[in-house]
Amino acid sequence: MPGSTKNPPLTATTIRHAEPTTEIANSSPIAPDLAVLLTHEDVDRARDRLQVARARWKGRKSKTWGGVRLLWLLVGPGVLVFLGENDAPSMLSYSATGARFGIGFFIPFVIFTFAIGVVVQEMTVRLGAVTHRGHAELIFDRFGKFWGFFAMGDLVLGNFLTLVTEFIGVRAGLGFFGVRPIVAVGGALAIVVGAITTGRYWTWERITLGLAIFNGLFIPAAILARPDWFAVGHALLTWSPLPVGNRGEILLLILADIGATVTPWMLFFQQSAVVDKGMQPRDIGAGRFDTILGALLAATFGVAAILATAPLFHHGINAADFQAAEFAQALEPWIGHLGAALFALGIFEAGIVAAIAISTSSAYAFGEVFQTGHSLNRPLRDAWPFYLTLFGSAAAAAALVLIPHFPLEFIVLTVNVIAVLAMPPALAFLLLLVNDRELMGEHVNGMWANVLGVAITIFLIVAGLGFAVATVFPAWFSGERL
Amino acid sequence: MNPKNLSAGSNGAPGESAGVESAAKPDLKDPRVVLSLLETDQVVASKRQSRFGRRPLSLGIRILLWGLRSYVVIMLVIVAIAVIRALHPTP
Repeated sequence: MPGSTKNPPLTATTIRHAEPTTEIANSSPIAPDLAVLLTHEDVDRARDRLQVARARWKGRKSKTWGGVRLLWLLVGPGVLVFLGENDAPSMLSYSATGARFGIGFFIPFVIFTFAIGVVVQEMTVRLGAVTHRGHAELIFDRFGKFWGFFAMGDLVLGNFLTLVTEFIGVRAGLGFFGVRPIVAVGGALAIVVGAITTGRYWTWERITLGLAIFNGLFIPAAILARPDWFAVGHALLTWSPLPVGNRGEILLLILADIGATVTPWMLFFQQSAVVDKGMQPRDIGAGRFDTILGALLAATFGVAAILATAPLFHHGINAADFQAAEFAQALEPWIGHLGAALFALGIFEAGIVAAIAISTSSAYAFGEVFQTGHSLNRPLRDAWPFYLTLFGSAAAAAALVLIPHFPLEFIVLTVNVIAVLAMPPALAFLLLLVNDRELMGEHVNGMWANVLGVAITIFLIVAGLGFAVATVFPAWFSGERL
Repeated sequence: MNPKNLSAGSNGAPGESAGVESAAKPDLKDPRVVLSLLETDQVVASKRQSRFGRRPLSLGIRILLWGLRSYVVIMLVIVAIAVIRALHPTP
């Protein structure tokens, strides 16, 4: 058990192989040294832990309300990561899916991808709660700089391209209402800055959760599309009708829909957020609930986007080259101005929440790798490189979107596909870390988690190889069925 | 607050102590209260001075990592081909 290790006196040279511990710091022999070194971050984290401790204590008197209060306090990283991943390019992928293939195979398939997401993200909850280290930090510590920088390369490239697409979504979503691009993008950047300058993880998390819940705007948009609920039920039960069309195009949408649910930034973000939130091994159950809740909400909203755009399929409208605003405009005759406006607002929301989450993910990873302060509980003056990375990545992505004639289409086309292709190595690191008994102690992966983890990795590799073959030999995929 | 109250969880569980749970207004300016709420390696100073060491990478793991790295590089080339074709479709 990790907690069984005794800590040596705290000096720079003694603790080379830190063991995660479940000992409380106050009873540790190094407590006197720690007490004089406590930071603002520690105090804020302790404040959050105090709320959790009180909720647990009250929960012993009133199981129901105590449990609800406890979950309210511990929910956050899982919901944010999944609603953050229901970002602008993801919602556009779902919209393209609904417009191209209507109600059928893709509805259960999207739900299936979220089930994959739950399996993977649950491992990051355990890693964060047990080791109290972020994902990037653990990769660098356990595999060294060589492999660490490779993993970071994938993350930085994927994150930056995705961030650009978020601002494309913001611009396009507000463009439906006639808002000028510079105002839309500038306003979004101001919201990102507003969320990060609170100096408290808790406040940041609640603001972002408050924004993220507007991902649900796709539900009224879907209802206004008056979907055939019998067809929805049939699709859920039978995974049919199968998509008909160019196989290469179908494969690309499959890959884009997988990339809309499982991506490397999610691993880095959720683990770092779990650490920043101060979760401990005893919170793992709540962390699992948080992850499943996030996946359920995101899957519902993703399916809603498919249902909202299904009228375009039924009326034979070619949506192949549609971007966000075009989807909303094209939907207006079928779901009304209100429905189209909700759809456009949903795309705007998806972009802004993901911009906050992804830029935070980049900043966490930067801080962990370069060992600078990396917590939203730190004031700006204490952790300016962290906040500068966060703001800088968001600002650079926002600026690119405003450059006239910049090939934005190039980025939109590639972002979800790159996410899927970069996922197998990220999953390999994740599986190696979560099976590392020296790190995880009793919380190492069980057999079924490993079976599922390896199966998911193989599935993603096969999907990627299918995409490669379809690209190099398009003639092989010119058939009309999957 | 008596630090003894902070040193052991009420149910034997670590991390959060009975003293803090039941106290009306624990003073977070008291470092002992802060330490009682956190695990040892949750404290920033402790994390800064302790790192997990490198794990030995077996030949199998190195082959796996190199294989997956090669996969990503090849796939990025494929993506570039796909994008060029999408942006400049042949008539």
